[in-house]
Amino acid sequence: MNLDLTPEEAAFRAEVRAFLERELTPDVWRAHRDLSEQGMWTADFTKAFRRKLGAAGYIGMGWPREYGGGGRSRVYQAIFWDEMEYHRAPGLDRSITYVPSALLALGSEEQKKRLLPGVMRGELSWFVGYSEPEAGSDLANLKTRAVEDGDDFIITGQKSFSSEAHMADYGWVAVRTDPAMSKHRGLSLFIVDMKSPGVVITKHPTLAGWTHHAVYFDQVRVPRSMMVGELHEGWKVVMGAIDFERAALASHGLIGFQLDRLLAWCGKERDGAPRRLDDPLVRDELVRLAIEGEGARLMTYWLASLHARGLMPQHETSLAVLVKRETARRFDVAGLDLLGAFGPLRAGSPWAPLDGEVEVEYRDRLYFQFAAGGFDITRNVVAQRGLGLPR
Amino acid sequence: MDITLSEDQTLIARTALSFAKSALKAERIRELETSENGFDAAVWRQMVEMGWAGAVFPAEYGGSDFSLFELALIVAALGQGAVPSPVFSTVVEAGLLLLDAGSPAQRSHWLPRIADGRSIMTTAIVEPGGGLLPEEIRTRVAQTGSSFRVSGTKLFVRDAGVAEVIVCLGRSGENPADLTLVLIPADTVGVRRRRLWAAGGEALWEVIFDEVTVATEAVVGRPGQAWPHVERLLLRGAALKSAELVGIGQAALDLTVEYAKTRVQFGRPIGSFQGVQHHCTEMYRDLTVSRLLAWQAAARLGAGRPADREVAMAKAKTGEAIPALTRTAHQIHGAIAYYRDYPLEIYYHRAIAAAAAYGDAGHHRRGLARLLHEDIARFQGDHRHELPVHYV
Repeated sequence: MNLDLTPEEAAFRAEVRAFLERELTPDVWRAHRDLSEQGMWTADFTKAFRRKLGAAGYIGMGWPREYGGGGRSRVYQAIFWDEMEYHRAPGLDRSITYVPSALLALGSEEQKKRLLPGVMRGELSWFVGYSEPEAGSDLANLKTRAVEDGDDFIITGQKSFSSEAHMADYGWVAVRTDPAMSKHRGLSLFIVDMKSPGVVITKHPTLAGWTHHAVYFDQVRVPRSMMVGELHEGWKVVMGAIDFERAALASHGLIGFQLDRLLAWCGKERDGAPRRLDDPLVRDELVRLAIEGEGARLMTYWLASLHARGLMPQHETSLAVLVKRETARRFDVAGLDLLGAFGPLRAGSPWAPLDGEVEVEYRDRLYFQFAAGGFDITRNVVAQRGLGLPR
Repeated sequence: MDITLSEDQTLIARTALSFAKSALKAERIRELETSENGFDAAVWRQMVEMGWAGAVFPAEYGGSDFSLFELALIVAALGQGAVPSPVFSTVVEAGLLLLDAGSPAQRSHWLPRIADGRSIMTTAIVEPGGGLLPEEIRTRVAQTGSSFRVSGTKLFVRDAGVAEVIVCLGRSGENPADLTLVLIPADTVGVRRRRLWAAGGEALWEVIFDEVTVATEAVVGRPGQAWPHVERLLLRGAALKSAELVGIGQAALDLTVEYAKTRVQFGRPIGSFQGVQHHCTEMYRDLTVSRLLAWQAAARLGAGRPADREVAMAKAKTGEAIPALTRTAHQIHGAIAYYRDYPLEIYYHRAIAAAAAYGDAGHHRRGLARLLHEDIARFQGDHRHELPVHYV
């Protein structure tokens, strides 16, 4: 039991902090912030920033050295995620967390040799093609087809809610290869070059103000060598990979930022109004939030510790994501409440507090409640996989 | 950073749990709840033999040099097994208070006696008007020549029925913090006791000191300087009650999950219903967060580091979350657990008793709110970030 960073871990955290402070100056913030993009940064800046992360050695730091990884413990990765989230830096998403981890664990040697170097340099963007109009929480209901044709497969169908598909180089796409097999069998997983003929991307404005995408595949040809795992065994790949996705989502840095921003806001006198912090009810709310935030922080590092000891947490990861996301949502709601009459003022409006960030985030992070395993689905997963309750 | 138990700590936790689960049968636990002394002397003797009474004392006093963290693992196991014992009165309160504030003579006299089970001791802090803050103490400790005279009423005194001595906190001057601790043999003339009957069955007492006279050697620490020692006692108590609450919560969750797997209604185990699954996950979620906060509190205290923030967070969370968890546990069980022969009710009661001890959730949130007002950096804790420049 050691609740503190080792001197080496603390030095690493200081290094990441210095990197982020250097790269994300107020000028950079003003120039590249873009609320019409999902990550709230322009697509170009996100891509450029990812390359900087690659050059600084922050991508794949926990991977084995034989694939160019840093071979560092998961605690370092947790520190990096924590700082990235706290600074709301661009690029901390599936392209450097989920897909590369899944590729490393589940991909063929050829796929790894071909794709991982680009991933490590931060040059590749990915979209994850799981969800479809009829396959959300019930993912195995997906209908997109891939038909074998010599050494290739030909994909036809539709993927929806496809984050960052518009800027992706590759898709990590689940398809049905045998419609005759039972629901969870007959699926396969392909890596699809998004420049392939027949890939069409459509735009869908969200209530958060940014534009989401759907991807249509019209007879898109993919070589067999880009299949991940065995033919018709795609469900195993999807399920195996989902744990990597959840691990990356459990970071607590965002919550630390939310608390500090609220504390700073509540600690200042504004326009003749007394400090919000002098109101005992406000302090009680901040105290309650801080306790939940501390719990989320400990969950993050507990999970990293389990990984570092090789204990391979599974349902614990889902639980940590639930705690993180529910806590973050609690902060979103409380933040809006604490801003009172000013809370609903949107970015760009006169008198918008904190540049309207809290209102934007209250809208934006609604997706925490349903994306990548919504709150209720996650509760089922934890009950079944963690507590052993029957299906 | 490594938030997992070491091999030694895992062994301690396992040993303690297997003892706690088999030490007492449910009927005996219920019998003890209404007995005058509240615990089973034979079970306490076994705990002493396993070294738990002296676990946190230095070896020179017959102890094992364990930290408070290891004791927290043991206390959590005792909570999970619902085993009553004088570990709070004798070790967490009086023993560690003497180690912290006692004279060399007091320590070398009493600590070995605690470690080998000869003596049970307790402390008397809280009063009808409070006692978690120094200005609330009204009991008088007046020095008259070569003796002290003690007068006042103390409440929630643990194990006063069997304690050989009571370390009593009283006011020795007019300044709010002018407080003094004195060691009073329980059979001294003028000491009167009445048993309080609280949920969960812990042996709590009212102790009245009616013009009790003790010699000046009875003072513990320096006269008028008692409060910092008492503050540390209250922190220890709150941290270890948080650990006990985690054990209580684990027991309630285990019973509930087992029941949900085996109870069949509408042709299916009720645990297959999403409504029940969601409740169970919520219980498990709160328990996991509670455990991490309790571990952090005990580990920091055990390492001798400032821990007021971490202890307050742990007790504020566990004090609300674990009683709530036991209510949900009952909801899932339904009528069966409303009957006294079903073991869940034991934890339902113990949760509120533990939540009330050493400051309830509101008390600890108030402390955190004070910290927030006075020192934001300390409120944010050792792992705080630096807000980017354009927010400051």
